[in-house]
Amino acid sequence: MDAFLSGQLLFSALVIGSVYALIGLGLNLVYGTMRLLNIAHGDLMMLGAYTSFWLLSLVGLSPILSLLIAALGASAIGAAAYFGLFRRQIEISGPVEKLEANSLLLFFGLSVVVQNLAALAFTASPRAVPYLDQVFRVGEISMTANRLLTLGVALALCAATVIFLRANIYGLAIKALIQNRDAAKIVGVKVERVQLLSFMLGFGLAGLAGVLLSMTEQISPFMGFPFTIAAFVVIITGGLGNLTGGIIAGFLLGFIEIYGVVLTSQNARSIILYGVFVAILLLRPQGLLGGRRVVR
Amino acid sequence: MTAAPTTTAPGVTGTWRFPVATLAAGLFAIAVPQVVGSYYVSVALTLCMWIALTQSWTILSGMAGYISLGHVVFYGLGGYVSVVTWQLLPLWVAIPLAGLAAGLFAAIIGAPVLRVRGPYFVILTFGIAELVKYIVINVEATIAQAGRLMFGTPPVTILFYVMLGLAVGATLLAWSVRRSRLGAGLIAIREDEPAAETIGVPVVRYKTYAYILSAVIPGMVGAVMGLRLTYVEVLQLFNPIISFTIVTMAIIGGSDDARGPVLGAGFLLVLSELLWSSLPQLYMVALGTLLVCFVLFAPNGIVGLLARRGGGRR
Amino acid sequence: MFKKLLTTAMAAAFTVAGQANAAEDPVKIGFSISKTGIFAQGAASQMTVYELWRDQIKARGGLDVGGKKRPIKLVWYDDESNPSKVAPIYEKLITDDKVDLLLAPWGTPMHLSVAPVAEKYKFPIVGNTAASVALRQVSPGYIWFPTSMFPDSIASEMAKMLKQQGIKSAAVIANVLPFAQENQKFLIPALEKAGIAVKINEKYPPNISDMTPLLTKVKQANVDAVIVLSYPADSFLYMKQSKEIGISAGFQFLLVGPSIPVFRKAFGDFANGIVTMGHWSPLQKKWWPRAKEFTEAYSKKFNMPPDYLDSALAYMSLEILEQAVAKAGLDKEKLRQVIATDTFETINGPVKFTGVENKLLPTGFLQIQKGDLQIVWPEGMATSKFMKR
Repeated sequence: MDAFLSGQLLFSALVIGSVYALIGLGLNLVYGTMRLLNIAHGDLMMLGAYTSFWLLSLVGLSPILSLLIAALGASAIGAAAYFGLFRRQIEISGPVEKLEANSLLLFFGLSVVVQNLAALAFTASPRAVPYLDQVFRVGEISMTANRLLTLGVALALCAATVIFLRANIYGLAIKALIQNRDAAKIVGVKVERVQLLSFMLGFGLAGLAGVLLSMTEQISPFMGFPFTIAAFVVIITGGLGNLTGGIIAGFLLGFIEIYGVVLTSQNARSIILYGVFVAILLLRPQGLLGGRRVVR
Repeated sequence: MTAAPTTTAPGVTGTWRFPVATLAAGLFAIAVPQVVGSYYVSVALTLCMWIALTQSWTILSGMAGYISLGHVVFYGLGGYVSVVTWQLLPLWVAIPLAGLAAGLFAAIIGAPVLRVRGPYFVILTFGIAELVKYIVINVEATIAQAGRLMFGTPPVTILFYVMLGLAVGATLLAWSVRRSRLGAGLIAIREDEPAAETIGVPVVRYKTYAYILSAVIPGMVGAVMGLRLTYVEVLQLFNPIISFTIVTMAIIGGSDDARGPVLGAGFLLVLSELLWSSLPQLYMVALGTLLVCFVLFAPNGIVGLLARRGGGRR
Repeated sequence: MFKKLLTTAMAAAFTVAGQANAAEDPVKIGFSISKTGIFAQGAASQMTVYELWRDQIKARGGLDVGGKKRPIKLVWYDDESNPSKVAPIYEKLITDDKVDLLLAPWGTPMHLSVAPVAEKYKFPIVGNTAASVALRQVSPGYIWFPTSMFPDSIASEMAKMLKQQGIKSAAVIANVLPFAQENQKFLIPALEKAGIAVKINEKYPPNISDMTPLLTKVKQANVDAVIVLSYPADSFLYMKQSKEIGISAGFQFLLVGPSIPVFRKAFGDFANGIVTMGHWSPLQKKWWPRAKEFTEAYSKKFNMPPDYLDSALAYMSLEILEQAVAKAGLDKEKLRQVIATDTFETINGPVKFTGVENKLLPTGFLQIQKGDLQIVWPEGMATSKFMKR
């Protein structure tokens, strides 16, 4: 049982948890404010990862700088997607359920297009950019630098987003929009501008997460899908539109993934993860922390 | 090729023209293996597979509006049943058994799962399919089965006839459910579930019925497709792409009319045959673009477009 | 009337010209490939070889068909990584496109799906990228497998090699997917029979994203050999996390992954000492003089080295086919005769089929040494000695 207490496991759980929290956060922003289900979220991460790969291998640019470039690039894609496809959808579609279903299909279409264009442009051969792979040892815990960086950046971004939502006027407006769209309009929130902002923020976070992953994962045009699913599992567990809930759920799932396996066997990993997810929804159909549509 | 049963003017529902046309098309399609080479028989088999899957899907997801993104779970379970019982049970037992297994699974999970709504339901169904996939993979690994070899499976022509029957059956089933009391109740649930409940629609029961009805035929479809494989890996049987393709076909064809899935499946298959041979990735790009266009400009699918051109809506 | 005569005459003239050009009619060579879907990543290393070969044939002035050089044309379709699509594609290639020759698809399930088609149409196909004991159950006749990577012989050779290295204990962790499972099934008894204690024997799921709990256990077990029966994605994960956790066993084995070029690039020096399955390396210059030539041509065209398993196997199958066609022409039955009975010179040494198997090629292991993959087992074929990690 002493394995259970080892710092090594804790570190791993934190790293996975922070990645889950980060990818869930971007997805949740877009869903919360506009009720759009972005099933292309993971594909934006894929684009971020390729940005990092190409910039490093062609011009030798450090992935740390790519973080910024990919975030900006993904934000720009977000703005384009908003103006090109979704602004009108949000205006015209009647009931929320219809919008949710439509957005799922639109993003699925985009996802297929992006993946296969990437496969045409970059070929399907997997790539990798080893970066910051030296190992630090602190006491009995060893940490790879890129995993440490991932943890740090993801935590900082989650914290920054939460603070932004509380302290900044636009952040407050996003929050207002999530809580009650009509009321927000009445009190003078510029809905269009806030929606654009959420799109850019959500997409930007995905691009950024992609750069972080490029340092540790294999890069391929089809790498995004598992992350999309992970992100959905996270935000649904936490309650859709509940940003803090999503962050908590991300870490929770990270811990379940690591410690659940310690208690049973490694082979049970996927069964435990999906089992917990299904069980949570069956017991609480609005997610673990869902129910009231509130951002705290 | 099996002809799409009715590309004629809209307004056929309410008469018996649709089921008669479906049966006629089915009878006509029996001649397919006599007319074309075995490659096109397998294309026709694939077409029938998608029609059967998509029709079944619309019973729950089209009518009641509970979008399932995990329908492959029924297909996979059915396929697994037929693969495991291959050479133990005759075909005419194994295939209904697969349908029964899928239906039973839907009946067991139906009530709790259908309490979950909207996007939660969408991702929950996906999660269930993945959960079942990993359980089956583990079962296979535990009983030390590393992939199953299937020798002497029935020829494609036989499988085509079975699949044709399933496609016709699913189409008639979707058509008759839509005209029944159950169908009316399901549509009421889609429009406004609490209101439906207030006016006395047995919501839970109806949803569960719809779920079971939408599961049985996919189970049997999976059973037939399992026999198409020579070497079975569980991962293949539960491929999530199948769930996504079903949804895409229903949207492009239109899920509000029993002609929709036939048109959607037919259209995508023709498109795929045209593009896939030379430019597979471009086919996927075209598929994605089409999906986006249909959602934006033709939300009721090809059926909706035809209705518009035919003047007036039903 | 005149007009009609004229056209008839012209048509006749064209026909004559056409006949004169018959030698220029390309030989149609068909295959299916996983261009999209879950196998697209893996299949890429086979498709590239087919493309390279096409260019080489062109540069050589055509394919030698029974002494006559003819241009070739590749006809291929995407199977979308779906094994049930493969058989119909090959039927289409045979009956619709009327191809003259067939190349193999990618991976075990695909090969097994094609085998019945080959038999039905009596059309010989030289397989390549398949590895499973199930292959032996295919009735011999129209398909052959040049690989030596059969899990039962991998297991027995592994036990021999470990015993020779004086290894006393091992940890075995395996992906639950079929190829890894087959290996685990044969490996555990083989190790125990050789007197090697299997201290850890576990499985993990294909979509694993963190191995820390498993590797912590492995580290605590303090074994001499860590054997990971992995697929490419988990090979990557193992490398990253074993580095972090500090697994220091002298013998570390990954099943599928290290032969892929990006693997060595990604891990640099840290990859040194990793052992994997394999039977080919361009460094075996004495036995396989053309291996280096192939590697150079491949690297030049695609800007990266070939995959030491799949690319090499794919090229071997092409060499076998090419030599057989040079001797027998395009007649299917003659071709089958020649492939089934002749001995062929390939980049992986001589190939001769006994039933469906190539018994001339021993099962071996490769080790990454200074960024290159050296053959370290069996001794007769080795290009370098095994070095402890």
